Amino acid sequence: MEIAVREASGVNILKFSGSLDTNTSQVAEIEVNNLLAAGHDKVLFNFEELDYISSSGLRVLLATAKKLKVSGGLMKVCSLNAVVQEVFDISGFAGILSLASNEEEALASF
Amino acid sequence: MLAVDDTPENLDVVKGILTPEYVVKVAINGPMALKIVEKQPPDLILLDIMMPGMNGYEVCSRLKSNPETSEIPVIFLTAMDQTSDEASGFELGAADYITKPVNPPILEARVKTHLALKVSMDELNKAYGIIKVQKDRMEDELNVGRDIQMSMLPLEFPAFPDRDELSVHALLKPAREVGGDFYDFFFVNEDEICLVVGDVSGKGVPAALFMAVTKTMIKTRAMDDRSPASIITRVNDEMSADNPSCMFVTLFVAICNVRTGEFRFTNAGHNPPYMKRASGALECLDQRHGPIIGAVEELAYKESKTTMLSGDTVFIFTDGVTEAMDTDSQLYSEHRLENILGMTKCSTVENLVNETLASVESFADGAEQADDITILAFCLNEDPEQSTRHQTQLVIDAELSEIEKVNQELDAFAKELEVPGSIIKKLKIAIDELVTNIISYGFDEGDDHSIELSFICSDEQLVVEIIDEGVPFNVFDAAKPDTTLSIEEREIGGLGVLLVNELIDEVAYQRRNNTNVVRLTMNLRNN
Repeated sequence: MEIAVREASGVNILKFSGSLDTNTSQVAEIEVNNLLAAGHDKVLFNFEELDYISSSGLRVLLATAKKLKVSGGLMKVCSLNAVVQEVFDISGFAGILSLASNEEEALASF
Repeated sequence: MLAVDDTPENLDVVKGILTPEYVVKVAINGPMALKIVEKQPPDLILLDIMMPGMNGYEVCSRLKSNPETSEIPVIFLTAMDQTSDEASGFELGAADYITKPVNPPILEARVKTHLALKVSMDELNKAYGIIKVQKDRMEDELNVGRDIQMSMLPLEFPAFPDRDELSVHALLKPAREVGGDFYDFFFVNEDEICLVVGDVSGKGVPAALFMAVTKTMIKTRAMDDRSPASIITRVNDEMSADNPSCMFVTLFVAICNVRTGEFRFTNAGHNPPYMKRASGALECLDQRHGPIIGAVEELAYKESKTTMLSGDTVFIFTDGVTEAMDTDSQLYSEHRLENILGMTKCSTVENLVNETLASVESFADGAEQADDITILAFCLNEDPEQSTRHQTQLVIDAELSEIEKVNQELDAFAKELEVPGSIIKKLKIAIDELVTNIISYGFDEGDDHSIELSFICSDEQLVVEIIDEGVPFNVFDAAKPDTTLSIEEREIGGLGVLLVNELIDEVAYQRRNNTNVVRLTMNLRNN
């Protein structure tokens, strides 16, 4: 898994590629926590190139969402492939996280 | 009675003693005595030994050698008082030996004793005659029962010589007294075969008749109903509605699609069958779907589903196998059966069936077979021309970092077989969840452990098996998380298993030979 981080219109965009699973989630969590610690409170997870996500990846998303909720920040997820969308539907994350179909749409909604 | 003596005075003496209590006929020589006996057999004969012409010994031996007269007690009445004379009298079958001169009370007492004995003997013989008639009738009935039972079974093998894609073999070894076992197999359409094994609770002709009715009813139902659960539910309704004799039957009914390998089954109080996978693994189909048939009306039986790949064999049997006893009343039991099924590398279902029976018989070691033994084995054959089955296996250390190896192996496996990417992604998620679970909770600290994975692919299905030697744990027993909670309330636990359950088409857990086996099946046709 790789994460490319960049900033656009005040939003930190994390573009994931590969998979977000048991072995990669820890790296992702550190990356995200670093951003939050630096005071960034608008985060977009771009999953366009993410193959799949397992429950440990969901755990990172949930932890991030909880932290931003407390700090008054915002978090969105965009560009889910069919399998990731299915995982979000099954887990109920589609209902509790803010989803967008692409990056442009996501950025516009911050 | 008859008194025989060549001296009329002696006859008068005897007559004097025994009349009027007994009717005494007399004869003055052997031939005359034999003639009287032949005409009207007396209850007792008093016989002199020393007579001109035919002596008493000879008369006695003629009487004893004729079955008509051999039962009549003979008392020798003679002046010969040597012990050797007495002995030769008894040797000829005499009941008693009285020396002259006759002592009246002794003669009376002995005559009385022997007549009483004769009456008892006659009664015994009569009773024995009645018992023998009954016994013969019962044996006839047993034969009738067995004839009904055996005439109902398909006995010709190979059963479907023109169907190369499957083989089926079965046998029923009846106990001395009919136990009511049966088996059946028949195609319900071009692709689906129905397999049935049952065991009626009673014995004898009633059990055989009940078995015949049940078997017929199942076949009739199966022809217009493709669900084992529904077939059994309907048969149970009919059998329990009108069951004054309170007979029951345990049933296992399966319908297998020989083209897709789909195997649906319902177990109504029957011994759990085994699925011997082509990989050598032995699974117990231990799902139960309701009680025995004939007991409770209006029950909805359920059914389970698994998939047979080519080379897989299902082994169905009755309790005559596992409850076969040896001479010390030890049971053959499931573990011996599992051993033989696990060990036997049988080339054909016929061998598998016969070797199992041979194992049970050698265990019983001549002890009487108390119950019918029924065995049915059904196999989806591997197609030698067009091998559509692929399989690969790998063993990893129980370390999280090893999951990547599994992913690479699965990618390589899937690429070769052109499996759609979404299926592989879902399997990778499931493997990630399950292997992580095993590593986190499955083992006691300290030791090195490994986890085995198999990928098996046919035209229809991709199957992943994950096998670990950890503590017995069915991961699918875990409670479902509440997926409707808000971000703040939401806990993450349990999500992994939920994902596996929802993403994978068919999941199954088995405890198999001290290992946990999770089987994930993805259908390739409708995905």
